[in-house]
Amino acid sequence: MHVERTDLLKGWVNVTVEVDNDEVRTIEAEAVPTRFARGWHCLGLSEKFKDGKPHTVRAFGQKLVVFQSGDGKLNVLDAYCRHMGGDLSQGTIKGNEIACPFHDWRWGGDGRCTEIPYSRRVPRRARTAAWPTLDQDGMLFLWNDPEGNPPPAEVTIPRIEGATSDGWTDWVWNETVVHTNCREVIDNVVDMAHFFYVHNSFPTFFKNVFEGHVATQYMNGTARADMTQHAKDGALKMLGNTSVASYYGPSFMIDDLTYHYEGMDVQAVLLNCHYPIDANSFVLHSGIIVERSEKFPGEAADEMARTMSKYILSGFNQDVEIWRNKTRIDNPLLCEEDGPVYQLRRWYEQFYVDVADVTPEMVERFEFELDTSRPIEAWKKEVEQNLARRAAEGQPA
Amino acid sequence: MTIRTDNRLLDGAPMQSLACRQCGAAVQVRKASWQQTSIQWDEDATNACLERRATGGGACGDVFLGCTALSETIAQAALDGVVTVPDDLYEHEESQ
Ligand code: FES
Ligand SMILES: [Fe+2]
Repeated sequence: MHVERTDLLKGWVNVTVEVDNDEVRTIEAEAVPTRFARGWHCLGLSEKFKDGKPHTVRAFGQKLVVFQSGDGKLNVLDAYCRHMGGDLSQGTIKGNEIACPFHDWRWGGDGRCTEIPYSRRVPRRARTAAWPTLDQDGMLFLWNDPEGNPPPAEVTIPRIEGATSDGWTDWVWNETVVHTNCREVIDNVVDMAHFFYVHNSFPTFFKNVFEGHVATQYMNGTARADMTQHAKDGALKMLGNTSVASYYGPSFMIDDLTYHYEGMDVQAVLLNCHYPIDANSFVLHSGIIVERSEKFPGEAADEMARTMSKYILSGFNQDVEIWRNKTRIDNPLLCEEDGPVYQLRRWYEQFYVDVADVTPEMVERFEFELDTSRPIEAWKKEVEQNLARRAAEGQPA
Repeated sequence: MTIRTDNRLLDGAPMQSLACRQCGAAVQVRKASWQQTSIQWDEDATNACLERRATGGGACGDVFLGCTALSETIAQAALDGVVTVPDDLYEHEESQ
């Protein structure tokens, strides 16, 4: 028994084909949730909101106003004025308040009307919806909770050291509007195979860990010989990358990324985050910083960050192209070389129910290490075929 | 949304109970092949794990990759046939 099994480790290929295929598999999908996730959501670089003007943000099925009060704080309120429905995001910042363009009522960052210049007193219940905010590491975050509770300390967004360090570049930032439900972007956490087929990368190690409000993807990749552009003379040869990417809550992912070059590593932090506009669209953000090093000092690191940012943007577009045409599916039919899609969605569900209804199975630790031996074998073959075809067509490898 | 069950658990091997040889943490394990492993922890198991505690696992911004003692326990259990590995799904073939 023992010997047989050890023998198996030498190498094998999967030749199994399911034979009882007499029944057609149906795709099932419930309606997209009408509720929006509880958690911290990043609205983008905070700098953008600090120009002395109020900003309109469409999020969570509503119109919001983001404004910086005189005390420097960034505030988020429901954009519609409780007086007669004016749009506060078209108003003016006056001191610590946002003034409505319609009749000049003044609203503070806490959602309270503090003053009506033409009235002796403010009526009762002059209070509008306000979202707790966090201005951290150059980004503005907003706490969304359908139950209206304040953000618990244990789910706060971790600090990103490089973001405030001179040893790192500034954020290079991208935003795109995507017209689908945001669960699609979450699925990427576990979807190893799409990284080869959609993003032209080559994963060699893949593991997921879900615990509490954090979902992590560990992925190592190798450079694809059929995809790398012909290295210019003197250009560094990319060997592969190591990535540890975690979602902290439903929408904010920090990816600690190391690019391995011949004789050196480059450290980067990649952010991948989104906020829902409504049930069927979301704003997708990416941010990147690169560590300056001996090989990439000063401007060279900035250049690198810009190049990587372009690369990430094209990656987004590859996903978007798939999302635009695919259907929502609650019962994906998985093979053993797929990641834990169902367990990821079970984790994700915790953000869509009341805190009292979060079950242990949604938050208990789950680990899934993928067997990459068969994917690697298949993908090596595919890469070789691509190279051979190109050689036959007389193109450079 | 309804939480659904992984089709691989419905059609293939189920999760099996196993206790870590080092700390006794009782977890649910499944192996789809020699290299693939799923581990479902519960709260008691998470609290029992010594390695997790040592690395401060679970703290914000500090993710715990996994317990090596538990990995070794699972690997041995697979070799001993305590955790089943569906090798019948695979056919021998010398690879390059
Ligand atoms: S509607 Fe805003 S002040 Fe009247
Ligand atoms: Fe993707």
